[in-house]
Order: sequence, then C-alpha cells, then structure tokens
Amino acid sequence: MHRARPWQVILLAGFAIAMTVGSALAADDEIRVGAVLPLTGKESKIGGAYKLATEYAVKEINDAGGIDVHGKKLKINLTLLDDTSDAAKSAQLTEQLIVQQKVHAVIGGYGSQLVQAESVVPERYGVPYISGGAGASAIYGRSKWVFGTLSPVENLAQTQMDFLTDLVNAGKLKAPLKISLVRENTEHGRDFAKGVEEFVKTHPKMYSIVLNESFELYAPDFKPLLGRVQQAKGDIFMCDAHLEDYIAMQRTYTQMGLYHQMVTYGARGADEAGRKALGAATDYIFASGWWSDLLPYPQVKAFNTKWKAANGTMPQWYHACAYETVRALAAAIHKAGSLNPEAIRSAIATIELKDSILPGGVLKFSKTGEAVLPFVVTQNKPDGKLDLVWPKADKTGPPVAPIPH
Amino acid sequence: MRSTLMQQFVSVALNSLLAAGLYATMAYGLAVIYGVMRIINLAHAGVMMLGAYVTYALFTRFAIDPFLGLVIVAPLFFLFGVLLYKLFGRRMAAPGNAPSIESLLLLFGVWLVLQNTAYVIWTGDTQSILTSYTLKSMEIAGVRVGLPSVFVFLASVASLVFLNVLLKRTYLGKAIRAVTQNRDAALLSGVNADRISAIAFGIGTAFAGIAGAMLSSLMAFTPDFGRSFLLKSFCIIVLGGMESVTGVAAGALVLAILENGLAAYTSVPTSLQDAVSFALLFVALVVLPRGLPGLLAVFERRRAAQ
Repeated sequence: MHRARPWQVILLAGFAIAMTVGSALAADDEIRVGAVLPLTGKESKIGGAYKLATEYAVKEINDAGGIDVHGKKLKINLTLLDDTSDAAKSAQLTEQLIVQQKVHAVIGGYGSQLVQAESVVPERYGVPYISGGAGASAIYGRSKWVFGTLSPVENLAQTQMDFLTDLVNAGKLKAPLKISLVRENTEHGRDFAKGVEEFVKTHPKMYSIVLNESFELYAPDFKPLLGRVQQAKGDIFMCDAHLEDYIAMQRTYTQMGLYHQMVTYGARGADEAGRKALGAATDYIFASGWWSDLLPYPQVKAFNTKWKAANGTMPQWYHACAYETVRALAAAIHKAGSLNPEAIRSAIATIELKDSILPGGVLKFSKTGEAVLPFVVTQNKPDGKLDLVWPKADKTGPPVAPIPH
Repeated sequence: MRSTLMQQFVSVALNSLLAAGLYATMAYGLAVIYGVMRIINLAHAGVMMLGAYVTYALFTRFAIDPFLGLVIVAPLFFLFGVLLYKLFGRRMAAPGNAPSIESLLLLFGVWLVLQNTAYVIWTGDTQSILTSYTLKSMEIAGVRVGLPSVFVFLASVASLVFLNVLLKRTYLGKAIRAVTQNRDAALLSGVNADRISAIAFGIGTAFAGIAGAMLSSLMAFTPDFGRSFLLKSFCIIVLGGMESVTGVAAGALVLAILENGLAAYTSVPTSLQDAVSFALLFVALVVLPRGLPGLLAVFERRRAAQ
C-alpha cells in the first residue's frame, strides 16, 4: 500500500484548511440567495416580470450598502435560474441552488404548480424559502420553511364577497342575490370556489349559489357552459379564470347577450391584454388583486415613481409582490442578525414589515406561512379607466352597481 | 313550455353546428396528411399557433382582417408545409401502413421548435385580435350567435367543398386518392408519389394555418396555443375515419352535438367536455375502427344484400 509522504500530508491538510477558511470567509462576506423563475415557456411573461423586480430589489439593497447583519453590512449575491416553466426542473434547480450554490435562502418562483414542486425541497435541507408568486393554499402549512407573500386565493373570493355585501348594505344591490359560480378546474379555481361557498354558507339570507360549475383550461368553446349560466338566471356572475379563458369566455358572454348585475373573473379584469382583446366588453367588470398602483399609501407612490423612472412603465401587481418578497427576506435576515438558516426562518415567521407597499401596509405571515394581507378590488370604467373600489377607505372612485344594462 | 323546449333544441342544434365548423377546420389538415402519408402530424398544434400569430401580425401591421388574411395565410403555409416535407420528408415516410415512431418524434420536435421560436419572436404575452365584429352577434331562429363563429362555420363549409372538389374532380385529387389507397399501385401507374406527398403535406399544413387564423379571431393565444385542439382533432379524425374529409366534418358534428347536448339536457359537468371527446375516441377505436364512413359502409352492404 502506498504511504503518503509528510509533505503530501501537509499539502493536503493545508488545502483542506484553506478550503474551509475560504468557504467560511465566503459565508461571512455575502448573502447567497437563489431564485428559480420561469423565464421561458408558458409562464415566461410574468416570470420575466418577477426576474426584473427581484433583480431591481436586490440592486436597491446592494446599492444602499447591503443588509446589516449583526453590525456588518453584507451584500446579496443573487443566483437566478430559469426552470423553463417545467415543474420537475423547478424542483431540481431549487435543490441545485441549495446543494451546489449553498444558498442561505431561496426565493420561490411564479405559478402555483411550479412553486408546489419547489416547495418540497427546502424541508429536506432546512433552508428558508419565500415565494412571491403562488396563492394556492395547498402549498403552505406542510413545511415550516416555506413562506409566501401572496395572500391565499380563498381570501380573494372572501374580499369580493365583502365588497358585494357592502354594495347590498349601501342599497346598490338588493338581497337575496343568486350567484352563478364558474371556475377553472385547478387548485386556484377550487380555492376561489371554496371562498365563495364558505361565505354564502354564513350568509344564507343574502346569497345562494344557483350554479356551481368548473371548466377545463383553454376550452375551445364556452357556449355549452354559458348556456347553463343563462339557464341558471343568477344575479351575480362570479368566475375564476386564466387570462386566455377570461378573454374567450367574456367574448362569448357578450355575443350571447348575457347580463348580470355584477360580473367578476376573479383576479382578471384590469389586465391590459384583456382590455385590448375585449374593448368595451370589460367595462364595469370588478376584479380582485394582490396589489394596485392606485393604493394611496405614500410608500406606494414612492415605489411607483422610482419604478417608472428605472423601467419606463408603471409597476404591475407581480412587480410589487416580487419586490416585497425580496424586502421581506432582507428584513428577516437583518432581524435574525445571522445567516443561520433557522434564525432566518424564525425571523421570517415573526416579521412585521411595517412600511410594506402591499394592501394594508403591513406584511406578516400566518402560522402556515401565507401572507396575511387584504386584497384590493378594482372596477373597470368606460374609456379604459380603472378605479380602486375596495378597501373602502382607499377607493379612488365610486363602485358602479348594478352594471348599467 | 313547449316553445321553451323547442327554443332550447334550436339553440343546441345551432351551437352544435357552429362548434362543428370550428372543430372540422381544426381537423381537416390532420386528416389530409394522415390519409396520404400515414403520418400523425404532431406539429399540427404548432402550425395552428403559427397561423394565429401570422394572422395577428397581418392584422396589427397591415390592418388585414383575419378572414381576408386567409388568402395570404393559406398559400404561405402551403409553401411552409412543402418546405417541411422537402427537409424531413424521407425521415417521415412510413414503410407500411402504420405511422413510424421516427415521424412522431420528428414532428413532435418540429412542434417544440415552432413553439420556442414563437416565444423568442412574440414572447409569452397573451395576444388577441379585436375587430369591429368580434363582439357582434346575429339572431338566427331566435338564437343569438357570435358573428366570428358564423364566419368560421362558413369558412369551414368552403374548406369542405374545396377539399371535396380538389380530391374528386381534379387530376391532382385523383393522384392523392390513388396514393392514399395504395402507394405502390399508384407508383406503378406512373404517379409521382413523392411529389403528391409533398403537396398533401403542404395542403395539410395550409389547413392547420387556416385553422389557427380562424381560432385567432375567436380566442386569445400564446406560443403554447393549440395543445388542447390537437387532442380534440385526433378524436375527430378517428371518428371521421382517418382519411375522409367528409367523415371529418361528420365526426366534428357528432362531437359538437354530444358536448352541447350533454350541457343542455343533462347535469354532467361541463368540465368533463374533454372526457367526452376521449370516451368517444375510445368507443370509435373499439367499436368503429374505420370511423363513421366504416359504419355507413356496413349499412350500405346490408342494404345491398337485402
């Protein structure tokens, strides 16, 4: 058997020590943050927006000197990978960031399906994970390491019901109201329907659901479904749909000459692509969202101004959510005062970001890791105008109800 | 009560007819290519998507109406199809009557390339076409139907007439049918089967482009567009007997009647619409392996025997 010579042993030991010291130095010198986003493939539109806002927030923090970690300013070293909108790849890249890049925390992707795939990885390695792009409840509560800055979709439906109830109380709508509930056959759609159903159960004298149907994504023909909506003779039409289905369905809805006192497509309605595709057929549709640039908080106005100056356009909800995700992580690392994963996790769980640009102005997380935030409600008005109509205290214009026939 | 039921029946019949027009348009191209080359064109969805984007580009850049744009889209995609055949034709050719695995993989690859090229050119943004008549409707027998759906139906009927005239009344059509029925016999009779295959692939691709153009007038699209239509098109051509364009139209009508009828007269959830298609595919493959034309042939034989 070959025996190592003393100089070989010393060299090896020296190399090992150098490696250890090197990695320790690296660990102290910067905060390694990984992010997996869909930059290509079917989710690339919003995935690209998340990249832009994530990098913008990181640059802002680094330009200000970095994060104060126990008296020492550390800069963020962001590694951002493209999962090509593929769930399996998304999970694999998250693992790669943790195992190979040895990141201190991971910023999650966009889209409930992709985030769901990623969200099982942090538990295995004990690394904090915070996503700004998934609102499906099924993702949260299974691992103490997983957090999300999007309020659950169930709350979205709840907010819409609160808004409708306020219209009833104001005498604009007359109870009892019959709801035609239609939703896409996804986790998002199920959560939406659950939110409406639970609200209706607790308000039986005000509401009843006369139709409760789901549909497959990207259906080529919505006439059979809308035929049922027509037959149900509801007062309120509540639908949860992807942008493409919203456009196709609302076109058919308009062509069929359907009418309801109020119409919503969940989070859809204010989208520029929808208004371009539907023109006046989007007027008076109300929509819930995780954010609006119309929020009257000073921090939102400041964010709008600096974002527009840097990027040339007004920020959208996904920019705001991605931006706040990075800020929440940065605030948690500062609060933890260390790069220890458990310390960061514990800090995220208890953080209260008081100057948040998100609705309510304070970002904090529930026991399941989901953000506890209200939703905003906007209503499309003629000539491309949009008003924030909920929360009541923040409204920029009066809600129009019922929709003029 | 009676008039309400009658009204509902008229509504189901009319909506089924219009949906059948759309479905048939989606499936013609697939049927033509399968009939001649015994190839299941997995790139069909990609070509439909490209048809939608070309129509979008014609509309936004040159203000050309989506339906008028068909006169540009059809020849453009015919040439594209011929080019594809010239590039990959030999690799796609199936030696026997069954589609080759190589052709399936190759065309699946072409689909992915088209899809990713579209992502590079047009990004993943949702696009749509809003014309002056997009949201307009007309009343037929007391039922309101969307004008674009009526135009799609008319275009589908025109396509059916064109394909039937082409296949039954022209020398090219006879040559295509000869290659469809027996490629070797056609070769022995002096038909240039390779040229006919290239033309058939061109025609099939042109119809996929036309389908995409028409779909773009009905719905929004991204580079991922077309996937769900491809599956529906498979069901229709299997039901229609794989090779017959009239069979395709009949298959589309059966599927559309089933979908609309189930929604109107039963409480089966509309989310099971796709399941209806696949159940029909299953039934067609087991009970009617030659599709509706096969069923008609059985009836014909029985009548002749009597």
